[in-house]
Amino acid sequence: MQGAAPAHRNPLAPAPGARRRRLINRAMEGVATVAAALAVAVLLLVVISVLIKGLPAINLDFLTKNPAPFGQRGGGIANSIVGSAILIGLASAMSVPVAVLIAIFTSEFAGRRTAGAIRFALDILNGVPTIVTGVFVFGLIVYGARQSGWAGGIALAVIELPIVARSAQEVLELVPRSLREAGLALGLRRWRVVLRIVLPTAAGGLITGAVLGVARVAGETAPLLFTSSIFSNFGLTTNPAQAMPNIPVTIFGLSESPSPSDHAAAWAAALVLIAFVLLLSIVARSFHERSRSRLRG
Amino acid sequence: MSGPTSSALPRRSELLNYRPRLADRIGEPGLRALSALAGVLAVALILWIAETVFNDAGPAITKYGLGFIGRQVWNPDANGGVGSFGALDFIYGTLVSSLIAMVIATPLAVAIALYLTELAPRVVRRPVAILVELLAAIPSVILGLWGILVLGPFLGNRLEPFLHRILGWIPLFGGIPSPYGMLTAALVLTIMALPIITAVAREVFASTPAELKEGAWALGATRWEMVRMVVLPAGRAGVVGAVILGLGRALGEAIAVTQVIGNTPQIQASLFAPAGTLAAQIASEYQSANPGLGQASLIFLAAILLVISLLVNVIARLYVRRVSVR
Amino acid sequence: MIVAAIVGGTLALAACGSATPSSGTGSGGRAKALVGAGSTLVAPLMSVWQPTYYKRYGVAITYGAIGSGGGIVQLIARTVDFGASDAPFLRAQAAACHGCLEIPWALAATLVAYHLKGAPNHLRFSGRVLADIWLGRIRRWDDPAIRRLNPHVKLPDTAILPVHRVDGSGDTYAFVDYLDRVSPRFRAEIGPPAPIVNWPGGVGGRGNSGVGGVLSAANGTIAYIAIAYVLQSHFDYGLVENQAGRFPTPGIPSIAAAADALRSVPAGGRRGVSIVDPPASAPDAYPISTFTYVLVPTATRPGIAPTLRRFISWAVTAGQRFGPKLDFAPLPQAVVRADLADVRLIR
Repeated sequence: MQGAAPAHRNPLAPAPGARRRRLINRAMEGVATVAAALAVAVLLLVVISVLIKGLPAINLDFLTKNPAPFGQRGGGIANSIVGSAILIGLASAMSVPVAVLIAIFTSEFAGRRTAGAIRFALDILNGVPTIVTGVFVFGLIVYGARQSGWAGGIALAVIELPIVARSAQEVLELVPRSLREAGLALGLRRWRVVLRIVLPTAAGGLITGAVLGVARVAGETAPLLFTSSIFSNFGLTTNPAQAMPNIPVTIFGLSESPSPSDHAAAWAAALVLIAFVLLLSIVARSFHERSRSRLRG
Repeated sequence: MSGPTSSALPRRSELLNYRPRLADRIGEPGLRALSALAGVLAVALILWIAETVFNDAGPAITKYGLGFIGRQVWNPDANGGVGSFGALDFIYGTLVSSLIAMVIATPLAVAIALYLTELAPRVVRRPVAILVELLAAIPSVILGLWGILVLGPFLGNRLEPFLHRILGWIPLFGGIPSPYGMLTAALVLTIMALPIITAVAREVFASTPAELKEGAWALGATRWEMVRMVVLPAGRAGVVGAVILGLGRALGEAIAVTQVIGNTPQIQASLFAPAGTLAAQIASEYQSANPGLGQASLIFLAAILLVISLLVNVIARLYVRRVSVR
Repeated sequence: MIVAAIVGGTLALAACGSATPSSGTGSGGRAKALVGAGSTLVAPLMSVWQPTYYKRYGVAITYGAIGSGGGIVQLIARTVDFGASDAPFLRAQAAACHGCLEIPWALAATLVAYHLKGAPNHLRFSGRVLADIWLGRIRRWDDPAIRRLNPHVKLPDTAILPVHRVDGSGDTYAFVDYLDRVSPRFRAEIGPPAPIVNWPGGVGGRGNSGVGGVLSAANGTIAYIAIAYVLQSHFDYGLVENQAGRFPTPGIPSIAAAADALRSVPAGGRRGVSIVDPPASAPDAYPISTFTYVLVPTATRPGIAPTLRRFISWAVTAGQRFGPKLDFAPLPQAVVRADLADVRLIR
């Protein structure tokens, strides 16, 4: 560090250079704090923009009426809300059971290697750009036929699957082995142990995973561009054999319009969507904490 | 705490005279088979996607081969509707916009992660962490909407003209200021990648061995010096993995990018100039791509995007896995 | 529990929905619904036709305004019952469609709109100037070429940002068709008209709506947009010089004048009917007017043909009544006659 200190120096005084080091430390701490503040600020900026610009346009009409014809004012996004609900319902109905089954397989029946491979595959699946998923489902189902709610639901299900599955895997692994062993010791077969003991114990965590999956796919636009974007704007569409109106594609279209009333509608629809997604995320997270502590304790 | 329900417990008589019940005979192998099937699906799905995409891109792959990547032309209706295609403009746009996003996001994310693990007072830690995670939950179409109506006008009407006036002699800032362009797209991508890098980096820093940190404290290091000497070097591999994960997110983003990037296939020096990315172009043109070479070329873009993002993801997972194992 | 209820509820809703018939034959073989897609230029008119036709005939028409190129492609793939396009088929597209018809069913125009702070409305442009702007040769608004056409206007020194369509667009087709005829340089660089062309630079927007969005967001932009969108958004738009040297205001009279200059209407509705750059004998014609077509297969799915025939016949006759309010000029009688003859070819 330094050479031999001069004999008359007070040994308890701070070493030379300490002030400079402290200043640098202060500066760096400042940088880190500013960075964190910046991130929070951006988030607040976006959310507040949506709130301020979206709230004025939200009224009962907006939520219960269908879009008005070209050039006319008024109207709402009722058909998109219903359509999105149906799409998300279809996607979850398809992906959640499969995800839970995958998790059961890796935590109960598969060997370590297989489980690792499946986990890896799910992580990779999670990283596939959602637009490629849309192209995939388009080539599989839509090409040569029509866009449909089924196609949209399947595309969303493919995206939702790895999210729910990975979360389910984590939760099932947290269920104490002692519970399983107790069930086996009592003479229950494996499958009963899973269905009657493991799953109910993990139910909270599984629901959390499903909720996170829903939160994610609720806002997905790219896969729906290929599978459910040419839809009717007058009258509610509830038949999944037809293309389903949905909130993300609606926002997408409105966002590129020059009309200020379209912009207002876009912000309002964004508010509905963001409120839904953020609410789900927050609920999932707090559920997550509670079920974790319950499983451990 | 929920435990086994009483109806699941076998009766005493069953335990004494155990014979495999019909339900068990079906249930046990049934569950095994069903869940195994699901496991196979998990692995098969990614292969299926790759196979379908490459298959549908067939006509373009046959016609252009790998040279497609180097061709700088995108003229879908040329030659009476047959078209002439090449991916170079979009590969450039994808790489440049993502790279700029990484350059801006990485130091920010590392700083935030350090703040959350080392600096923040306990009370502040949870809320700020949650807020940063919520940033990741914002759907991309809404970020794109915000980009079009808030960020774009700010950049195009205020920041870019300012940069152009002061630094216009640098080619980067030499173009016409425009709300739609590479810079706007890169900033939107930064906002999307930031939470991911931060989350992983946080975990990495939080798992720095305590004794190393305490050693630095004992030697009289300031907090920054401790971070510089211990936390950062120890977490280097993990941070690299985090950045690559963020890169994967940025590369694949279609919607928010296509809303703000101007969708013009070109290679320009200026950051203000409109550009095109692989994902954004697919989103732009998928509906009007002519059957045959047109659609195949578009799906060829998707295939290239798939390969790039798979590679990036695999590399990222290897890095992150290495960290968590340690 | 709640999640299960929600999922179950939406599935039930979907199941109820499945019970109602989608597009296809109702009882007696005549379809009760049509699905179409394409041109954003005709979309405003279509959005008025849809509820009116439903009220009159009980047929629900679903229309996706995805651009003329999209309409062509969707029809070729037979994912829709009819396509709508302001651009006629290109050679390869016509071949791929296997005997499809283009039937002009509305008449409108593509305007040159701009967003320029400090400049008045109705600036004057010539075809050559427009070509040079989109070729990137004229870069600033106070360029001498523009000033020459607008001698009494103080033009600001702003950079010009030309906007184009990224999706397949009939407006692109009409605009390029026009520029090709008035500027040999443009034709040499860009090539023949098509729904998508290779613009050198500029900014891309999606649909007429998207282009309008770009225009309203950035100062100095200039774009080609369908007339209904320009007037609805109150954009400034330019007056374009026609062959007679005049600068007619785009609107129903000048569009009708361009259509009237039509010498003959090709039968069987193929190859489209171009009315851009009308000759000097039509001094009041707006030079970038365009028909917009419904694209139909000659061989349709069972039950679709009668519904389709009646819809198109209605559109070119009674449906024209709704056009003027949206700045669509009524079809010339010669065209209507040819259309009604062509409609009978739909089986």
